[in-house]
Amino acid sequence: MSMDTVKPIIVVEDLQVAYGDRVVLDGINLTVQPGEVFVILGGSGSGKTTLLRTLVGLMSPRSGRILIDDKDFTSLSSHESMEVRRKMGMCFQGSALLGSLSVADNVALPLREHTKLEESTIDIMTRIKLELVGLGGFEDYLPSELSGGMKKRAGIARAMAMDPKIIFYDEPSAGLDPIVAAGLDELIRTMQSTFNLTSVVVTHEMESVRIIADRVCVLYKGRVVGIGSLDELEQMDHPYIQQFLARRPDELGIVDADYARSLTSID
Amino acid sequence: MIELVGRVGRWALEQLKAALQVSVLMVDTMVWLVIAPFKGMGFRWRNSVESFVEFGVRSLPIVAMISFLIGVIIALQASYTLAQWGANRYIADLVAVSAMRELAPLMTAILIAGRCGSAITAEIGTMKVNEEIDALEVMGVNPIKYLVAPKFLAMVTAVPSVTALAMLVMIMGGWASSVFVVGVDTEIYVTQTVGAIVEKDLLTGMVKSVFFGIAICWVGVYRGFQVEGGAEGVGRQTTASVVTSIFLIIIVDLIFTVLFYYV
Repeated sequence: MSMDTVKPIIVVEDLQVAYGDRVVLDGINLTVQPGEVFVILGGSGSGKTTLLRTLVGLMSPRSGRILIDDKDFTSLSSHESMEVRRKMGMCFQGSALLGSLSVADNVALPLREHTKLEESTIDIMTRIKLELVGLGGFEDYLPSELSGGMKKRAGIARAMAMDPKIIFYDEPSAGLDPIVAAGLDELIRTMQSTFNLTSVVVTHEMESVRIIADRVCVLYKGRVVGIGSLDELEQMDHPYIQQFLARRPDELGIVDADYARSLTSID
Repeated sequence: MIELVGRVGRWALEQLKAALQVSVLMVDTMVWLVIAPFKGMGFRWRNSVESFVEFGVRSLPIVAMISFLIGVIIALQASYTLAQWGANRYIADLVAVSAMRELAPLMTAILIAGRCGSAITAEIGTMKVNEEIDALEVMGVNPIKYLVAPKFLAMVTAVPSVTALAMLVMIMGGWASSVFVVGVDTEIYVTQTVGAIVEKDLLTGMVKSVFFGIAICWVGVYRGFQVEGGAEGVGRQTTASVVTSIFLIIIVDLIFTVLFYYV
């Protein structure tokens, strides 16, 4: 598939994001093609979750642009950004289902808020979405009655409720056992292939990256250090990428005199 | 010295920032409550009624009980002084006026702040910790519209409604101890009570309680959105919510009492 000829669905240009004085992301440039599974890979503190939160509009960048479907998400009126938001769904790390609503009501929430559909129609659509993620029959359960994997599936169903073009996953397999995690990876792939859905996945699990990723963007200390398919990444000789792919720990090194002094506070 | 000035300055800036955030919250709530429903952007009436039941109806038993007991107590305390002048019949006046103007609105507000203001903070705080607020925003559902506006309407109607009942029960408490302990005649008590109350007493109490409701709701919501850092943060802000709203209730009370003193 020649990716270059297709117009990208997400374009990020010179993005800088900061918490107060602390710059968390700097000089981020990337594009996501329609219909691909794009993985944002990075260790803890690399800024990958911040990047995701900025992409969905939960955080505002200090500078730079985010184009979603050719619309600059960072400079839209609230009405226009609502239009863009309808094209996006997001699955949160902790699933973020509303605890006071049943699973079905959670999935129906965006439909009830944004459409004027009949309740019976919403009911059917909700069932279809839940069936899709393998949660048929769990409509009346409360989120607290579901297992971790089921919650994530329900989260995906809710993200799919408005039939988005892009779906964002924040650490989909975090905190799940390998079998459930593999099931979710498969679900992400199925969603992509069935609906030609663009997926942006933030993760640090190499196993799942190997299964789901079309292209991978590696973040290190708030900067992109490499973008490409896994094969391409393996060819790159950036030490961090190699270390990450090989799952090698940081070298502890020899404890130097300064560090020893700071621990023991002996001058 | 410079350090002191710096600290005072930073503190002032922080307060200013908090005031700004509260103002934004207030404006947003009013927009979603007053303007949005008429522009077809919807209002969650059902949710508002549910909140009214929670804040108002479910608060009734405890508010009624405490109001009754306070009525009993004021009557007995009043008798302690009034009996010396043989003026026990004026217990009724004292109970009625203090209940209407001051004690019923204040007790109701403090109880609802403890019961419901804290619950609002805990609910919104937990939702924030669980990323549920973020989820709403990503879905394009405004959290102020979804969570705050219905609660706000429920609170500003529930507090005065419960207060009205508290006034009545407190006067009944006063009656009970006057008649059964002090030995005032029921007929005299009723006549004195009716004679003592003027329209303005009711108005004073009601106006106050509306503003108490506003204070409780906004403090609860503001503290909820302030929650950071998991369960511990929820606990901290929930405590802060009760303390702040009781403090604000007293301040609002003072302002209106002074205002009504001159008007």
